[in-house]
Amino acid sequence: MGNIPAKETRSRGASYSSGSSTSYSDTFGSRSGRRNTTSGVFSGHFIESKRSRRQEEKDKQRERHYNNLIVRLEESIDGGFLAPYGTYKSNLDYDTDIVRRLIIQRKLAPFFTPLQDFNESWSDEELLIILSQSTLHTIETAYSEAEEEEDDIDNHKIHKSQSYFRRQEQKAKLKSLITRVKEKQKEEENRFLEEKVKAKEGQPCSPYLFSKDLFLKLYRNASECPICFLSYPPYLNVSRCCLQPICTECFVQIKRLDPHPPHDDTSQQEGNSSSTPGSNANSLPHTLISEPAHCPYCAMPDFGVTYDPPSDIRVGIEGIKPSEYHLSHKKRQSIDKPQIKSSHSSSNSHLTGLHANSESGSEEALQEHDTGKGTEAVSKDLYQPVKQSKRRSSLASDAVGVITIDMIRPDWEQKLISARNKLARKAATASAIHASNLIIDQNSTLDARANNARSSVQNSYNTNLHSIEERMIEEALRLSLLDEEERKKKAEQEKNKSPSS
Amino acid sequence: MAALPKRIIKETERLVSDPVPGITATPSEDNLRYFHVTIEGPSASPYAGGLFKLELYLPDDYPMCAPKVRFLTKIYHPNIDKLGRICLDVLKDNWSPALQIRTILLSIQALLAAPNPDDPLANDVAEDWKKDEQAAIKMAQEWTAKYASTSSQ
Ligand SMILES: [Zn+2]
Ligand SMILES: [Zn+2]
Repeated sequence: MGNIPAKETRSRGASYSSGSSTSYSDTFGSRSGRRNTTSGVFSGHFIESKRSRRQEEKDKQRERHYNNLIVRLEESIDGGFLAPYGTYKSNLDYDTDIVRRLIIQRKLAPFFTPLQDFNESWSDEELLIILSQSTLHTIETAYSEAEEEEDDIDNHKIHKSQSYFRRQEQKAKLKSLITRVKEKQKEEENRFLEEKVKAKEGQPCSPYLFSKDLFLKLYRNASECPICFLSYPPYLNVSRCCLQPICTECFVQIKRLDPHPPHDDTSQQEGNSSSTPGSNANSLPHTLISEPAHCPYCAMPDFGVTYDPPSDIRVGIEGIKPSEYHLSHKKRQSIDKPQIKSSHSSSNSHLTGLHANSESGSEEALQEHDTGKGTEAVSKDLYQPVKQSKRRSSLASDAVGVITIDMIRPDWEQKLISARNKLARKAATASAIHASNLIIDQNSTLDARANNARSSVQNSYNTNLHSIEERMIEEALRLSLLDEEERKKKAEQEKNKSPSS
Repeated sequence: MAALPKRIIKETERLVSDPVPGITATPSEDNLRYFHVTIEGPSASPYAGGLFKLELYLPDDYPMCAPKVRFLTKIYHPNIDKLGRICLDVLKDNWSPALQIRTILLSIQALLAAPNPDDPLANDVAEDWKKDEQAAIKMAQEWTAKYASTSSQ
C-alpha cells in the first residue's frame, strides 16, 4: 500500500503535518467545512425555505445530541452513567439515543467513572477517599470545538460566498449550544457536590449517591481498559471476536474510516494528482467505498462487543437506589481478597474481573438465604454459567447480543452517499472548468486525452461559456435534489428500523 | 493546553521503565506529545551499525488516530522518502488504538530489516532496488555510514 491520502482523514491534528495527505486535504478540501462553489450560484425561494426547514431539523437533533452527553447523577445504572465521562474530547458523534437505550437495556456497559490510577494495595478507606473525590464529568473543558474550528478557505477571500456566511452562522450556533451544555454539566456537578457535602454532614441527601458498598463492589477489583489505560469496574464490554475488554467510552470512539476510493485505484490516482490539479475528480464517485470498523485487537472486520451485566448489581434505573446497595459482611470480605493475581495483561485483568464477579455473585445469592447450608453447593451452581460465558467462542457480528459499531453509528451509509455526491459535484465543476479552458485556447494545443470529463460536458466544446454555466447550475441543482431525495429515503428507512434487536 | 491523557502519561512511563532494545523515545520538555526517537539499524540489514533519528508526534486524537512519525536522518529505503516519511500500513489505515508508541517503533525497526520495494513510497529507490538489489543494498550501506554512523553524530 502506498501513501494513500484519502484515508488519513481521521487524523485531524492539524498542528503537525508529515504526510502528503495534508496537502491532499488542503488542495481538495475533504474537510467538512467546505462546500462546492456551485451551491452559491442559485438561491431561489424554493431552495431557501427547504434549506431552512432542513436546518431547523438538524439544529434540534444537534441540541438533543449534546444534551445526551451530559452526565447526570440521577441517570445511573449498575454504577455507571448514560453519558461519557469526557476522556475523549472529539469523535462524540455516535448516536447518543441508541447508546443510552442499549445501556439501559444492559446490552452495553454503562459509562463508568474511570480512576486515573489504581493500586490493589490501597485499603478500602483509601479507595473510598479517592472515589469520593470523583466528579460526574471530567473537569477539563469538554466537547472541544476543534472539529469546527478549522480554517475556512473563504477567510482568505475578499468576496465571501453566501455559504461562507451560512457556515459562520452555524459555527456561532454550535458554540453557543456547547456553552449551554457545559453550563448544564456544571450545574449537575455543583448539585452533586452539594449532595456529597450533605451526606458527609449526616443530613438527608440524594438517594442517587453511591453507597460505600457499591463503590467497593465496583472498584475493589478495578481493571484497566487496554485502550485508554484507565481503571474501571471489571464489568466491561468484551470484543465479540477475541474476547478482549473495552470500556464503553473507548467503544463509542471507534468508527469506520471516511469513505475512500478502493485500494486498487489509489496508485493510479496518486500518479495523476501530481500532474493535474483536481484530478481526484477522475476517480469515479460511485466507486467510493466505506468499510466496517475493524476490531482494534485482532483486526477482525465489523467490530462488535457483548456485555455480561453483573447479576448481583441492580441499581439505578430499573433497580434499587444506588445509596441503598449494601453488602453482607461475608460478601465484603470476598471482594477484599483478590481472587486472581491481577496483571497488566488485558486478558488476564479481565479474567480477574469476571472471576471476581462470579464469586461475589454466589455470595450475594447466599446472603438471601444464609441458613448455614453448604456454601459449596450454591456457589458451584452459580459458578457454572459465568464460566461458560467466559469460555464462549467468538461470535458473528449478527449474533444475538452483539453490539456493532454500525449499530451505534448508523449514519455511515448517509455519509457515504454524501461523499459520493460531493465528489460527483466536484467532478462536474472540474470538468466544466476544464472544458471552458479548452474553449478559451481552442486554437492552441488541445489535449483531448487530458479531459476525463463527463460526456455531457465534453459535448459542449463548441458551445459558448454561457451555456456551460447553465449546465453547471443544472447539474448542481440536479445533484442537490438527488441528495435530498436520498436523505429522505434514508430517514424513512431509519424510522422503520430499530437498532436494538 | 489541555492536560495530557492518562494513556500518554502511562505509555511514556512504561517506555522509560521497560525500554525496547535498540529503540529510545524521549518526550520533549516543552511538548510532551512530541518525542525524540532513535532506532538502531537491525543487524543483518544494510542499516546495521547506524543510529537513526526520528521524530514522533501524538495528535490530539491519539490513540484514535496514529502517531505521526518521520525519519530525520537521511536513509536509503524504498518505503521511506526524501522527507523521511514512512510508508507503513499501521501508520495509516491499519492503525488500531490498541497499538502503542512501542509497537509502532518496533514495526518501523522491522521495516528496516525487511524493505518492501513492491509497495514503495520512494519510487526511485524502489526501482533501483528492483533493478539491482545488490547495488541498492550497497547504496543503503553507504548512506548508513555517511549519515547514520554513531561517530558522525
Ligand atoms: Zn477505555
Ligand atoms: Zn477481535
